[in-house]
Amino acid sequence: MRPFANEPTLELRRAPVREALLAARRELEPRLPLRVPVLVGEERGADSGLESTDPGAPSRVVAAGGVASAADVDAAVRAAAEAFPRWSGRSAAQRAEVLVRAAAWLRERRLEAAALEVRECAKPWPEADADVCEAIDFLEYHARQAVELERGPQLLQVPGERNMMRYAPRGVVAAISPWNFPIAIPAGMVSAALAAGNSVVLKPAEQSPGCALLLVTALRAGGVPPGAISLLPGYGEAGAALVRHPGVHVIAFTGSSTVGLELVRAAAETPADQPHVKRVVSEMGGKNCVIVDSDADLDDAVPGIVQSAFVYAGQKCSAAARVLAHEAVADALIERLAGAVRVLQVGRAESFATEVPPVIEREAQERIEGYARTAREEGEVIAEVGEVPEGGWFVPPRLVASLPPGSRVLREEIFGPLLAVERCASIDAALDAMTESPFALTGGLFSRNPATVAKVARRAPVGNLYVNRHITGAMVGRQPFGGNRRSGTGSKAGGPDYLLQFVEPRVVTENTMRHGLVVE
Amino acid sequence: MAERSATAAPRADPEAELLRVGRALHEALPRPSRNPIEAVDRRAMELAAQDDRLRAALFRLVDVTPACRSLDDLAAHLASYLGEVERRPPPLETALRLSGSRAGRAALGAAAAAAVRHMAHRFIVGETPRGAMPTLRSLWVAGAAASVDLLGEATVTEAEADRYAERCADALDTLVEQSGRWPSRPVLERDSLGSLPRANLSVKVSALTPLLRPDAPELGRADAARRLRPLLRRARDAGAHVHIDMEAVDSLEATLSLVLELLDEEEFAEGPSAGLVLQAYLRESPRRLDQILEWAASSRRRPPLVVRLVKGAYWDHEVVEARQHGWPSPVFEVKAESDRNFEDLTRRLLDARPLLRVAIASHNLRSLSHAIAWNRVAGGRDEDLELQVLRGLGDHLMRALAAHGMRVRVYCPVGDLVAGMAYLVRRLLENTSNESFLYEQARGVPLEELLAPPG
Repeated sequence: MRPFANEPTLELRRAPVREALLAARRELEPRLPLRVPVLVGEERGADSGLESTDPGAPSRVVAAGGVASAADVDAAVRAAAEAFPRWSGRSAAQRAEVLVRAAAWLRERRLEAAALEVRECAKPWPEADADVCEAIDFLEYHARQAVELERGPQLLQVPGERNMMRYAPRGVVAAISPWNFPIAIPAGMVSAALAAGNSVVLKPAEQSPGCALLLVTALRAGGVPPGAISLLPGYGEAGAALVRHPGVHVIAFTGSSTVGLELVRAAAETPADQPHVKRVVSEMGGKNCVIVDSDADLDDAVPGIVQSAFVYAGQKCSAAARVLAHEAVADALIERLAGAVRVLQVGRAESFATEVPPVIEREAQERIEGYARTAREEGEVIAEVGEVPEGGWFVPPRLVASLPPGSRVLREEIFGPLLAVERCASIDAALDAMTESPFALTGGLFSRNPATVAKVARRAPVGNLYVNRHITGAMVGRQPFGGNRRSGTGSKAGGPDYLLQFVEPRVVTENTMRHGLVVE
Repeated sequence: MAERSATAAPRADPEAELLRVGRALHEALPRPSRNPIEAVDRRAMELAAQDDRLRAALFRLVDVTPACRSLDDLAAHLASYLGEVERRPPPLETALRLSGSRAGRAALGAAAAAAVRHMAHRFIVGETPRGAMPTLRSLWVAGAAASVDLLGEATVTEAEADRYAERCADALDTLVEQSGRWPSRPVLERDSLGSLPRANLSVKVSALTPLLRPDAPELGRADAARRLRPLLRRARDAGAHVHIDMEAVDSLEATLSLVLELLDEEEFAEGPSAGLVLQAYLRESPRRLDQILEWAASSRRRPPLVVRLVKGAYWDHEVVEARQHGWPSPVFEVKAESDRNFEDLTRRLLDARPLLRVAIASHNLRSLSHAIAWNRVAGGRDEDLELQVLRGLGDHLMRALAAHGMRVRVYCPVGDLVAGMAYLVRRLLENTSNESFLYEQARGVPLEELLAPPG
């Protein structure tokens, strides 16, 4: 296999590339709504209990499918357990080949996949395309990592003794994935689990079953045995049943803190008939801060912050939520940020001009508007996009300030296009504000002083700190991604340690001395 | 000498003519190291060109200077940058020691601030158009025209775009009013197609709108057009020239289509004189020239479009951006390819006259000599070729070209230190690139090599 390289995103600045995407979208249209069955080994029906709709035009159904029942969950876990011996019996190189073939399948359909994300999740084109690339990256990267891992670490060897350590797959992995990176995040979890030799049951978010089906189709087309990858479209109940199932060994989850913590609790239950302790890989929320130093170049900081906070309407766990501005630059920064927020382009995801698409659903819209009301009551809304389109779940981008320290707007994850600015007397004060938060996912720093960069890198507890750039868009192999504290369990997707979450170490020591003869 | 081409003999060998022109220009260049301040500048640039980390440290210092709150702050930054340089020349070792005490930092900060200001003044002619006028006038008197470029911070808001448009309007007024009092310089204000405006302003589309988006060029184009139209009217009514600069590839589509569409509008059919830029380092530049020529052939506009051919100033940016995304590089990565393309485009442009007016902007003696020689060999007149250089980089070339009887225009940035920093760093990058002509020349590379065809 060639060394890993990131899948290049589309060069959208070229008109013919944009044309090709629009053509892919036109081809997709007549095929909608997609039918998303419960897939446990074979299909188990797709009675229409579940519908995903276009957030920009909620009357349009993008995918319609079944709702996995408790029986489906049980069947899926059993099928996974049944498929496990054969799948894990293959060498890492053989499994890697399968994943690389799945990546190739997805690569061939990348325009179609991006078009589907635009429709189902209102991801604007560049975001949708980047998500597909990331999914391909995960498949390719984890395939190579598994081959690497299979070699095992070197142990000390003394005469007459042979020590060997290797990593064995854990068994059945339950992957519970979100809608905001509807192909990449499930691809990351599932490919890591499969590459390491586990079998997988995927329960995708109810908002993005169509994208999940595309991923599962890619994996099966690549050669993953049907039992080793099941798809359970459905709501929270299916996920909860899956997590509690005693046949599950590892739970890989990305989503809200509430659900994530609930899941950690549920997984800790170890009934008598469950011969193992479940492992949880949980990526949860963030309340990500960007510190702006007195010497920052605002020409870079303003676009970097705006991109971090508002692209995809702030619906990324890595998105910027708080700006901690050194008071020496706060006035200038706030004025420029406000002006930059006012010119943000709010629109339907399919328009190339759109920066802020509608949010995923009505509940999200209402929740974010609730935070905006609080911000208005407790502080002030400095800038707001005046008019947003009608008909979808649009929320105007807002910049807020002058909030009291305890405000829920500063403490809770909003997951929408709302950015708060605070003034800080010094970098140390900004670091204090950052470290007071129980969240520690991403963080940003704009500074031109290497000493300040070193200090913040030392003190910031976040999983991913970005210096002098936007704080979203982690790339596989380049920015292994994941949070600390209450943001996550600290494992890094797209990094060298991630596969270790899906294996258990086993050491074999053999006495090689027999009647004084060393038999090696 | 200027008149020679008009009666040029039968088509001579272009390379031979090129060598003649090149030797003549080289002859007129001052010997290095006459001026002690220039010697210090040169020494600093040499150090920077030799050591990448030192170069990075110096550039970072220049870059951060206007954002520092005090001399102490500036000295602390300097020390922090120098700390990352492994092999420090003795003067910098001393600087680092100085930074240990408050008094030392004050002295060091003052010295650094003075050095950066000195460097900035080399490239920037004034803080405002009015403040720049004495320099522009003395250039004119010495035989060089100018194009004024208003430096500014990035435009991220509507207010910033409006402010830039206002500054442009004000600059046009000032230039027209003041340049009217300059003495006559026929070489600079006339070619065989007619008269050339004295007032000449270069405008950046990225500063005229906060909405430039590489993925949606129509958005920024429409917004910039709102602000560019009144400027074109103003220039038309006052008889000034407006030149639209070209920036990174991300804004190429928007910029090119904006200029071509706007100039085709009925109200601009008779003026103003306007121009755009072709960047020879772009692999797509030959196709872009096709597009410009097609437009020029079909346009009903009277004043010929001025095309300024440049190498391109965003090479590092383009290469890095392409690598980070896994895209093919939009620019030639081998300098000789870019140089060859520059010459090909030069010939195509010269051959396209009188549909266009041609300005060749370069600090490469070979490229300039090639343009002059090709024009003469092809039977063109010297007055129908303009040469352009940058203030602070091409000053010697400017004098040599003027002495040679050519029309030379100096690109003159105007603005304060904060606004000028990005520009300054780009110029320094160019000046310390060990592939740059100026660096080679300063190093004493023989003339034959400097004038050799691009390898």
